[in-house]
Amino acid sequence: MRFMDTLNIFLKPNSSGNATALTTLCPIMNRVVDGESSVDITRERCLRLPIHEESPLAKVPNTYLARLFILDNVFYESLPGGDSVFNFSEITSIFSDKARLGALPQKDQLKSKYLVFSSNFHGDLDAYLRGMWDKWSYDDNGQQRDVRYIWENCVAFDGVTDSSSFISYMKRCQLNSALFFNGSTDDSLQEQLKALYLKQEFSKFAAANQGKSAADLQEAYKAFIDQVQPSNLSGPSWVPGQCEP
Amino acid sequence: MSNIAGKAYAMNVITPIPWYKAWLNWLIFKAALLVPNVLNGLLTLSLIHYARWVIIPKGKFPHLDSSQPKEELKYSYMLFFSNFNGSWDQYVDSFTFAIPSGLDLFWKMNVRYPKSVPLTPFHNYIQHNQIDTSHYYNAYPMAASNDVKSAKNVKKALIDFNAASSNKDPDEFLKDYNNLLNNLQHDFGEMSHTPIVSLAALAVKMRHAGAHEKSHNHLR
Amino acid sequence: MTQNLDLTDIQGNIVKAYGSFGFFKARYLFLRVDNGDKGRDFVARITSKVTSAERWSKSSAPSVTTNMAFTYSGLEALELPTASLIGFPEDFVMGMSKRKVILGDDGPSDPEHWDKIWQEESVHIWISINGKSIEDVEERYQWVSKQIDATGGVSLLKGHRGEDAFGNPSDDLPYQDASILYDENGMPSSKEHFGYTDGIGDPVFEGQTNNEKRVIGRGKLTSEGEWVPLATGEFILGHLDEAMEYPHTAPRPDLLSNNATYMVYRKLHQNVGTFNKFLDEQSKVFPGGKELLAAKFSGRWRDNGAPLVHTPDEASKADWDKKFAAADVPTQKKMLTDFTYNEDIEGAKCPVSAHIRRINPRGSLEYGVKGAFNTPGALVDRRRILRRGLPYGKAKDQTSDDGNHGIIFMVLNADINRQFEFVQQQWINYANDFKLGNDKDVLLGNHSAKCPGKVVFEVEPGSGKPPHFVKNIPRLVETRGGDYFFIPSITALKMIAGGIIDPT
Repeated sequence: MRFMDTLNIFLKPNSSGNATALTTLCPIMNRVVDGESSVDITRERCLRLPIHEESPLAKVPNTYLARLFILDNVFYESLPGGDSVFNFSEITSIFSDKARLGALPQKDQLKSKYLVFSSNFHGDLDAYLRGMWDKWSYDDNGQQRDVRYIWENCVAFDGVTDSSSFISYMKRCQLNSALFFNGSTDDSLQEQLKALYLKQEFSKFAAANQGKSAADLQEAYKAFIDQVQPSNLSGPSWVPGQCEP
Repeated sequence: MSNIAGKAYAMNVITPIPWYKAWLNWLIFKAALLVPNVLNGLLTLSLIHYARWVIIPKGKFPHLDSSQPKEELKYSYMLFFSNFNGSWDQYVDSFTFAIPSGLDLFWKMNVRYPKSVPLTPFHNYIQHNQIDTSHYYNAYPMAASNDVKSAKNVKKALIDFNAASSNKDPDEFLKDYNNLLNNLQHDFGEMSHTPIVSLAALAVKMRHAGAHEKSHNHLR
Repeated sequence: MTQNLDLTDIQGNIVKAYGSFGFFKARYLFLRVDNGDKGRDFVARITSKVTSAERWSKSSAPSVTTNMAFTYSGLEALELPTASLIGFPEDFVMGMSKRKVILGDDGPSDPEHWDKIWQEESVHIWISINGKSIEDVEERYQWVSKQIDATGGVSLLKGHRGEDAFGNPSDDLPYQDASILYDENGMPSSKEHFGYTDGIGDPVFEGQTNNEKRVIGRGKLTSEGEWVPLATGEFILGHLDEAMEYPHTAPRPDLLSNNATYMVYRKLHQNVGTFNKFLDEQSKVFPGGKELLAAKFSGRWRDNGAPLVHTPDEASKADWDKKFAAADVPTQKKMLTDFTYNEDIEGAKCPVSAHIRRINPRGSLEYGVKGAFNTPGALVDRRRILRRGLPYGKAKDQTSDDGNHGIIFMVLNADINRQFEFVQQQWINYANDFKLGNDKDVLLGNHSAKCPGKVVFEVEPGSGKPPHFVKNIPRLVETRGGDYFFIPSITALKMIAGGIIDPT
């Protein structure tokens, strides 16, 4: 492993090559208006987002996979476990019930609920967040919604007025990865989608032209290349979120 | 709500970890990236697009404004996010049997973690601490992680072949073309809809209608 | 092999494939319970003749066997307590037809096209009679009929498609007959209707056999490259499974579930005409000839089941055949099952997509990265299934799909969802674990005219040769019916009959 790679494990914890992990936990306001809490509203808006090609995330450049959910609370660890080979409390508990109770997991409660946004994308964080601000949009029963519609019930989001304040807001809510595992590629999304398109089309071509004479094959191949334009990323390709072959 | 987007499954797990062990776990994660072979099993398993572990040290939940109460927690927390192919119920066996020590290595410091073998306590532990996803987006619902990697291979090979051989004499062209197919012989799998792993009423209904997971909004 | 099984308590069809013990004929009966009390009386009477898994000597082997199993609604009808019923797993509770989207039973395999008997939700009891001759089967069938008449609480359900005693087609037969096929000289064969040799390489589990040779290629592969039997609990409830746990698909109380298992019963029609036509057409463009192509579909040669890994071409096949012909029976069995894909990770010999490689990848899912997983079979050992079954009907016209002929396919496993359904969904109708996307099993995949199947037969890497594409694969096998059954132990049968199952 090269020295810079080693260093980057510590300096760029959210990167694996050009693939980037973004984790944000944005606190949601503790507020109820007309019987609806900010959390309820935010959750419902997330649940209502259209999926696949129509998801607003399909419009945000370079998004590989991303998700939204609400962290309502942390869980009490009521399940039995084997977290240590030996617990001192196992001995002390024999003599004192207080020691036994003291050895149980502690109860934790969150004071706020958090909107969790977790994204895996290609490239630089600022550019990605700017893309979210600029491109996030979807049709909600005839109304176009931008990115604010999901985040507007978060604490201090009223200070967000443009892409640069959005970027700094999200960064304040960002958490670093301890380990970012990339089991895929770090190419741009356009590159990935073009590759998928080519894989699918070339498989069909290879199967369909099996056994042709050299001359016929070459002719068919040239027509195929003209059609699929392998190096042209803005040429024929899959669209982000495409769910039909 | 769905943890599924095409062939990918979104997993979110939050587990408490004593603050004095959190830093040790952080070191383990860094070591996993530094030491060759630690992630070998995970790479060979090849079910994951991207995954990450995030440690929130005690008292480090984002705090933005004085109107927001400051968290007073007794533990640090570990968040795990994964994007993998197949559902958790279906593939828990594959993960557990393939890389039990890897799973233990990453979670062993967590409160009441039961170890990955036997399987049911581990399965229950993860499920107990799992949070469902409200909106999940996948840029390529028809592609598994294997397909994305294979596609990269195909694209490069095709472009190289095109530059080198497309204008050769037909016989030479055919020879090179056959070589190309030989090199790509494991890359021709078709990509289509995911097998249905959720029997939630809507998913089944849409499958029957032939409208595969259409992108409409069904929450009324 | 330290596990001792209670062979007198376990039903015989779990441990024995009756076909290989000379039971060439079978009849499957399906009944509805109309009255709990009388139904339990019927169960008691049948239980008296239920065949256990006890080892047979030459003199003690019976000429006919009887076994019994229940659907979830059958156990409800027999009035098992709710506290027991809620312990059954979701797959079994739902039954096979409701699992159609998981199983890929669509188009011609959709439950709406199944035999009439499966059109109503009233199949409660399954009884199988396996006999050395049809007379033996008939005699036991008459005995069962008498018990039906005598107790009056159950009805034998009609509605199987097939040919009646006079050879006339019917869709309302009272039972499903099955039989091994006979060769042109009238000798018994182990062939099915497509001409493949069937019934090789079933898994072996602890306690099933004391013969270590039988474990080779059939148990699980250790890191040291040895074969050892699979854990009993993969196939029989109440025993430790591969996760070192007692299967959690077991309902309470223990005496209801110990020594029991789950059975998948599937009637699969084989489109013989389509298969023959497809094979003929495709072999015109396949360089190795028709029999090699047929072998590439399955991973074994049709004539004697020789594994392709050891017989990738005509020459090696001829050598193998010579050795096989000269070998004694145990050596022959070993030759059929003693192989892995480690020497053929690329699939140049046995395609990655071949049927037997899909249903049992034998450690090849490490893709040659030795030590990547805990054991080479890490992704396989929890997905093994015991296969039982026999062909049914005769394919009189080899050029036609019409008629009633196929296979009664039965699977035994401790967890239908984790084992059978996983294999059917992920490995037959999908191939991501093999890095082959959505490509399906040639023989069993649910190909359709709308999405015709395609597979790639790999060649030697670096040889400069192109791989071979097989395309426009039609649907060769269609589901005609079936359900999920619970096969209790003989103790549990008696307790069910006595109405004394009590999980309190």
